[in-house]
Amino acid sequence: MAANDKGLVTTRRNVLFGVGAASGVLATGLGSASAAAKQEEQVTDAPVSGKTQERQPFYGVHQAGIITPRPAAGMIAAFDVLASTPEDVERLFRTLSERIAFLMQGGKPPVFDDRLPPSDSGILGPVIPPDNLTMTVSLGSSFFAKRDWLGAHKPKRLSRMKAFRNDALDGDLCHGDLTLQISSNTPDTNIHALRDIIKTMPDLLVLRWKQEGSVPVLPPKPDGSHESARNFLGFRDGSANPDANNTELMDRIVWLTENSDEPEWARRGSYQVVRIIRNFVERWDRTPLGEQERIIGRKKATGAPFSGETEHDVPDYVKDPEGKVTPLDAHIRLANLRTPESGANLILRRPFNYSNGVSKSGQLEQGLLFICYQADLEKGFITVQRQLDGEPLEEYIKPIGGGFFFTLPGPLDETDFLGRTLLEAAGHAVTRVRS
Amino acid sequence: MKLKLTLSASLFALSAAILPGVAVAEVSPLDLVQPIADYKIYVSENSEKLVADTKAFTDAVKAGDVEKAKSLFGATRMSYEAIEPIAELFSDLDGSIDSRADDHELAEKDPGFTGFHRIEYGLFAQNSTEGLGPVADQLMADVTELNKRITDLTLPPEKVVGGAAVLMEEVAATKISGEEDRYSHTDLWDFKANFDGSRKIFDLVRPLIEKDEAAFVTKVSANFDAVDTTLAKYKTADGYELYDKLSEDDRKVLAAAVNTLAEDLSTLRGKLGLN
Repeated sequence: MAANDKGLVTTRRNVLFGVGAASGVLATGLGSASAAAKQEEQVTDAPVSGKTQERQPFYGVHQAGIITPRPAAGMIAAFDVLASTPEDVERLFRTLSERIAFLMQGGKPPVFDDRLPPSDSGILGPVIPPDNLTMTVSLGSSFFAKRDWLGAHKPKRLSRMKAFRNDALDGDLCHGDLTLQISSNTPDTNIHALRDIIKTMPDLLVLRWKQEGSVPVLPPKPDGSHESARNFLGFRDGSANPDANNTELMDRIVWLTENSDEPEWARRGSYQVVRIIRNFVERWDRTPLGEQERIIGRKKATGAPFSGETEHDVPDYVKDPEGKVTPLDAHIRLANLRTPESGANLILRRPFNYSNGVSKSGQLEQGLLFICYQADLEKGFITVQRQLDGEPLEEYIKPIGGGFFFTLPGPLDETDFLGRTLLEAAGHAVTRVRS
Repeated sequence: MKLKLTLSASLFALSAAILPGVAVAEVSPLDLVQPIADYKIYVSENSEKLVADTKAFTDAVKAGDVEKAKSLFGATRMSYEAIEPIAELFSDLDGSIDSRADDHELAEKDPGFTGFHRIEYGLFAQNSTEGLGPVADQLMADVTELNKRITDLTLPPEKVVGGAAVLMEEVAATKISGEEDRYSHTDLWDFKANFDGSRKIFDLVRPLIEKDEAAFVTKVSANFDAVDTTLAKYKTADGYELYDKLSEDDRKVLAAAVNTLAEDLSTLRGKLGLN
């Protein structure tokens, strides 16, 4: 009956509950509209959000979900791809594009006969809200390696992630032919999107692993300024991220452009790195504050470097060659040397915090679903991570999964689809018609 | 008409994927009488074979012949797995015959852990028939009772038709990982029986939808064929290779086929106008 009051009734529910609802109204003598107006909040009422109609564009030079401001909920789902022929790969890319375009736009899924399974899981109701959803498609090196006709077109720097010094990789949480980075305002919207893909393409995609994450939500600041969110170590994460609104900067740091020596089809794309980094939070919480701050290189409360007042102040390492202000092995110092040359190693981070349950030892399984994008995988993440190898923070973190992927260029308009430039480069002619 | 509608609604055009239309085929309940009768025969034949095979299997267990019992284990289960949607209608027997250690709080040590997998545990994990006598007696009694109940059973059409998908859901949810026959690794025998049982149902009702749902029928048949081709690679003289011989690539092919079959066959009831 509650569903009826809110006008969210499917044909099926009408049939099932229509009579009951009508008799309920008669019995109480209340019209449903006035009942709704006077209704007091109930325990199981859905929490209210004013952001469900926020919408990101699917079509564009670049895929959404990279320089798009990170919403509260994120997920990486990695798949094995069954499609092997150019025709099947085209079907995969086109179907993915159609589903993502629909899910990001929102709307009503088709209604089938009651005797068939419904077209949609229904977990967001009969009208799907966009809810700031983005779904970003990337390919792993295995996608190219397994298909002879694509092997020559692999982006030059795309490799299979190898374990770094502190890694303890779990094979069940690594690699994949294709990743979907799904982010939106709520975990439910992400799960809805994932279930849609799984239901739509069972013959093309087999789910390999997934990791969900979240970002703590802050109240708006009176002066309109923004702060970086905190990770599960309690530190602000992303203070030194490059400005995603600076197109020139993004063209240098994130996107492959005509200045790159990469295959032409890959322009407008980017390299995606995913790392599932477990944090030993119990141990971290038993570490003195001063030591935590020295390990990270920032003040915990404000996020400011030791030489500054706010998180956005820039530490001056030239004046601090011996590490008396910021220790030489502090995380932020090793991650970004801030030399003229180290500008080539900048990356755009877009991480989420994750929490998965309890380890066999009774400790919390939580940490960082690290995601970053860069134009050059080797100069970007791989170089930065090598600089970090051996850092004191390693005692508190353990990377256990993830992989390296290449994020496809954006679908330009409604005649385009994800992966089109790759198929064309491989000599597979595709038609571009308005979908 | 269905297909045209699908293709014109661009956002929902799923290319070659089968999108069930908004209508269902016109199938009269009378049309189902013969397929259901034929399926009843199939089920009865299998349950009788189950009784005979279980007799030989449990005799070997009780005689303490570990090697012989091991060799009979995979084949004995096949007639049960092929008719699982019907066998599962009797949940008391299904639990007693086919439950797995993780269905029980104390796992292998749980007194409620009986049936095929308890014997499998003894034979393959402990290499012994010690203590298995009463379990073997119980299993024999259970399959005999199952056979009797099946003989008396009027098959509900929706359970029969729905069974094609149920078998695939079983494989997709709990078998593709190789956890069903975790001690013997004879999972491919089970797969084969599950797929055969599902295909039997599909083939029996296929003539009723062949005309209106040609693309669906073609796609489902092709996926069954893909499964057969993949499993055939692992055929041995007297059965199938052990599950750990299954290559990662073939496991993915089977996973995709079983998920697609589960998805497509989930519409079979509706396509036949069954609730």
